[in-house]
Amino acid sequence: MMKQTFRQFRYETTESFKMAFFQIKANKIRSFLTALGVIIGIVAITMMGTAINGIDRGFDKSLAMLGYDVIYVQKSSWSTMGQWWRYRNRPDLKTEYADQLNRIIADNPRSELSIAVPQMSTYQASAKYRERNLEQVFSLGTTNNYLQTASGNLSAGRFFTPGESASSAMVCVIGDDIAVGLFPDEPALGKSIQIKNHNFRIIGIFRKQGKFLGLFSFDNQIIMPLGAFERVYGKNMFITMRVKIKHQEHIEEAKEELLGMMRRIRRIPPGREEDFSINEQKAFKSQLDPIKNGIAIAGIFITGMSLFVGAIGIMNITFVSVKERTKEIGLRKALGARRQTILLQFLIESVMICLIGGVIGLAITLITTFAIEIIVPDFPVQFSPDLVFASLAVSVITGIISGLAPAVTASKLDPADSLRYE
Amino acid sequence: MKQTPLVITMQSLCKFYEMGDQIVRALDSINLDFRLNDYTAIMGPSGSGKSTLMNIIGCLDTPTSGIYELNGQNVAEVDDDELARIRNKEIGFVFQTFNLLPRLNCLRNVELPLIYAGVEPEEREQRAAEALVKVGLGDRITHKPSELSGGQIQRVAIARALINKPSIILADEPTGNLDTATSHDIMDIFGALSDAGNTIILITHEEDIATYTRRVIRLRDGKIESDTMQ
Repeated sequence: MMKQTFRQFRYETTESFKMAFFQIKANKIRSFLTALGVIIGIVAITMMGTAINGIDRGFDKSLAMLGYDVIYVQKSSWSTMGQWWRYRNRPDLKTEYADQLNRIIADNPRSELSIAVPQMSTYQASAKYRERNLEQVFSLGTTNNYLQTASGNLSAGRFFTPGESASSAMVCVIGDDIAVGLFPDEPALGKSIQIKNHNFRIIGIFRKQGKFLGLFSFDNQIIMPLGAFERVYGKNMFITMRVKIKHQEHIEEAKEELLGMMRRIRRIPPGREEDFSINEQKAFKSQLDPIKNGIAIAGIFITGMSLFVGAIGIMNITFVSVKERTKEIGLRKALGARRQTILLQFLIESVMICLIGGVIGLAITLITTFAIEIIVPDFPVQFSPDLVFASLAVSVITGIISGLAPAVTASKLDPADSLRYE
Repeated sequence: MKQTPLVITMQSLCKFYEMGDQIVRALDSINLDFRLNDYTAIMGPSGSGKSTLMNIIGCLDTPTSGIYELNGQNVAEVDDDELARIRNKEIGFVFQTFNLLPRLNCLRNVELPLIYAGVEPEEREQRAAEALVKVGLGDRITHKPSELSGGQIQRVAIARALINKPSIILADEPTGNLDTATSHDIMDIFGALSDAGNTIILITHEEDIATYTRRVIRLRDGKIESDTMQ
């Protein structure tokens, strides 16, 4: 008996799918227009998801460039960017702090910190080779220990040695964009480039890393010994202490320790606010949350609205369909269709319309995503299988919600009256 | 004459409708029996209650009061799903307007009741094809209704009515939309089905159609006016 019931259910469902298919095929334009709301809704939800995913991925990629095990001592804080006036009156950092920090670290074997590396930098550098000139180059001066606190590998040559670092040798390691920009047709290694009328010999080239958040490129930098940097740009440049930590999972302890050390170095009495900031890449991530939330809220709003409108459209058209097919419903009941059979048939129909809308919406998003990736490779979009699942689920739910009322109406129709309906 | 077993028994069967503040007695204390292999025409002017009677015999509607037994089961007491099951198994409908689904071909139309009966696809197709052969449409099984004449369409509908081997074939004005010659063809099919042992109830208002049957019941104002064997 159970088996029979199940078989009956299976055949009836198959029949319902076939009929839904016939129905949609017979009313192509109507079905498409009906599905439009769902299509727009799904496009909105998947686009939103794609954008959020993309931002996350772009961010993670960028943060990996910064290194997860490096914290930064700087004049201002990353988490309150845009409030520069709060930091304007703070005293500048000094590159000597790095040596002082390293001494304290060396004295304490249980320190969570591994090494501190000083860095001076400017975004306003330019580099020249013969008639070629690059502006807006990111130039930084540091020591031979820089690589311990940074990601990125060299594709050619080497980094500068402790000797070159100590003697402020006029050598540099350049990013891939600089190499390609200045030397499109010849190898850059070993050539001399001019930076503010100083000649620098290229001793190493970084492998291409891509843009940080699509804004700042690590491929657009020139790294040189600290002394050489001071010779070119002077002492009043932006200073950062790059501090590598021993255990990524102990980052909070490491920050605490570093804070103490810096207060000691700066001689800040207890109870007074420090006049420097300790930054980590996490601060960037929290900066992004409002943007992501904004996209999510807008997306959910648009999705909600269009799905709502879409659902009403489908409900309306399913009611029309029930009316139009009153006689068919009567006939099916006369031939032995039960209430639930009719209910299921109309539900399946509305779910199918929604699913088709969902698939079209997904396809539109997928094509758009591919197009964006081809046209603007750095634009953060990232499609994910979760989105496929989510949007199909949303489609099915929309179909059920919008089809339920008409389907119940259809299932309750009186067979004798329906058969007489013209 | 040897009596065949009872298929349908009706005792003081009433069906009332409320029309505004008036109560319409569509069927008023009907007592009727139908036996196996009866071939009956129910006749009467419009408003006489013959449609209502057909709906009740066909389990499309339930009586207001009284007893309606189909194969010994009191149909007045069953729920909607059970009524659907009875319609599926016990009753084969033939309608004036044919009522085929236009998008399905003959075979798919005929197998429809078997889907609701939970019969396997292979068996469904085989039985539907056999039923179509029985009504002389063995060469039309993949045609759609739009490709057939009125008479052929009604024969498909008869095949559909036969498919589940029902206790009764219930035909509501089956020739109402057909020309005279075709009408007689269809009546020949009903005659053959009756000869094969089926129980058939025809609703009609055409006297010459009623002459094909063996028993004629005339209704007037919800009551039986006459019940004659011929």
